[in-house]
Amino acid sequence: MAFPAMAFPAMAVIAQAVNGIMMGAVYALFAVGMVLVFGVMRVLNFAHGAVFMAGGYLCWFAMAHVSPIYPVALLFSTAGGAAIGLVLERLVFRRLRENLSMQIVASLGLILMAQNGVLLLFGADALQIEAPSLRRVLRLGELGFTVQHLVILAAVAVAVASLHVFLSRSRLGIAMRAASQDIQAARVVGIAPDRVFAITFALSGALAALGGALLGPLFLVFPGMGDLPLLKGLTAIVLGGMGSVWGAVLGGLAIGLLEAEATLFAPTDYRDLVVFAALIATLLLRPRGLFGTAIRGEP
Amino acid sequence: MPISADPIVQTSALPASALSVRNLSAGYAGRMIVDGIDLDVAAGEVVTIIGQNGAGKSTLLRAIAHLLRQRTGAIRLRGADVTALPTEALLQRGLAFIPQGRSIFPRLTVAENLRMGGFLLRDAALLRARIDAQLDAFPALAALRETPAANLSGGQQRQLEIARTMVMDPAVLMLDEPSIGLAPLIVGQVFSTLRGLAAAGKAVLMVEQNVRRALEASDRGIVLELGRAKLQDHASALLGDERVARLYMGG
Ligand SMILES: Nc1ncnc2c1ncn2[C@@H]1O[C@H](COP(=O)(O)OP(=O)(O)OP(=O)(O)O)[C@@H](O)[C@H]1O
Ligand SMILES: [Mg+2]
Repeated sequence: MAFPAMAFPAMAVIAQAVNGIMMGAVYALFAVGMVLVFGVMRVLNFAHGAVFMAGGYLCWFAMAHVSPIYPVALLFSTAGGAAIGLVLERLVFRRLRENLSMQIVASLGLILMAQNGVLLLFGADALQIEAPSLRRVLRLGELGFTVQHLVILAAVAVAVASLHVFLSRSRLGIAMRAASQDIQAARVVGIAPDRVFAITFALSGALAALGGALLGPLFLVFPGMGDLPLLKGLTAIVLGGMGSVWGAVLGGLAIGLLEAEATLFAPTDYRDLVVFAALIATLLLRPRGLFGTAIRGEP
Repeated sequence: MPISADPIVQTSALPASALSVRNLSAGYAGRMIVDGIDLDVAAGEVVTIIGQNGAGKSTLLRAIAHLLRQRTGAIRLRGADVTALPTEALLQRGLAFIPQGRSIFPRLTVAENLRMGGFLLRDAALLRARIDAQLDAFPALAALRETPAANLSGGQQRQLEIARTMVMDPAVLMLDEPSIGLAPLIVGQVFSTLRGLAAAGKAVLMVEQNVRRALEASDRGIVLELGRAKLQDHASALLGDERVARLYMGG
């Protein structure tokens, strides 16, 4: 009722903003986990999307077989993602720190294994997380969005804020930043690199799986559900300025908003085109990304 | 012309020896660089290792700190055999190392760098007391607490490295070229800081290219040539040795 003449376009813009920020928050969560691992270990883990997907399945499994309480399922998935991260670091990526091409090969292998493993265990059909209360539509005037939109925003805000406090205040968090800046100096002050790498991967895996568990109830859970966040998360990292946590967060939000608003003036199929055009334009104007400084690889 | 002389200083493990290294050999991927080194550093003593570029000085210190895997020999710290211990366990037992080149964390603040110096101290009150003691010892750093270490001057960064290391209150401090890249006045300050630490009972072992000034600040010196200790003597004797002067002091 507030904008009688302009009601449709203004509401549409706002509605897409809500959608865009929600998806952007998921991209941001995804991107932050990848940036952490890259910053500390110089490892690009393209299997991060597979961990995201595993988070979706873990959430489905928890809701169906452990506890129907969604927050419990979220914790279950997050803990599972941390465990997966630990295993990936120990068995695969610790050995590949200096070797980007092998990181890519190993990631592709892991993605294949994860997707086929999931096909074997859960079948090819997409699964629905049984949580009707999360899909309930809330109305704010003419604006409609689901409970899950709010849950996603709140969960991502809490996760990013906690991560910030961890990195800026805690002994281990500062040690992670220290190791990312100078691994040799970290060793001589008694920071064991292998422990830092393990913690970094656990944290990264937890964030990825949390993302999958958050998006699961809105979309479905299926083997390829990590592909979209991988593509957009990588774009967010480059857009934000390869390396910084805040760059990844803001880059993720920017991409979510942009692709949602793009559907208002271009066919839906073109939204990725809009996002990549914006990415290229940004990099032409600011080669270090939107929020990048001279600092590279700093979490 | 190679220097040849018998070691004058006793190399058997003296009771006062804070750090004692026996028959240490070390290298990289099958290529041994350091070849059968014996050395001792007593509490209260400053010992300087000199030698040409590539002689293996850094390799020797890195091997003692167990930053190299490829090594044989024995290392004792205040009498205890610590040969097999990893770097962080050595640090916990009192052996600290400041590597060659800058080793501050550039994008951590001075306060955060000091806190990381005490990474292995789990007692928060002790950690705070140790950091405060270092800020008292280096007032210039106290004023720069919240400044990223990258913004400090070269001399201040060196002070920060030493202060950060002393947060662990090590018995033995090893430094690889502490004077490199510093103005002459600052070099004097760094060496007098090290003398002060020795006076306080620390054992200091450093590698230096600034041979004359380092030996002037040292009790003893070791000449390393192709990974072997060619000569160990009192610093004053090395300063008066014409072969040492010709080969390592440019004249
Ligand atoms: N990481 C490494 N891998 C293989 N060889 C190395 C490595 N680091 C050093 N070396 C080799 O070991 C030898 C000794 O090097 P080291 O750095 O110990 O010499 P140094 O006496 O400290 O020299 P400088 O005065 O230049 O610092 C050199 O021949 C060097 O090329
Ligand atoms: Mg050297």
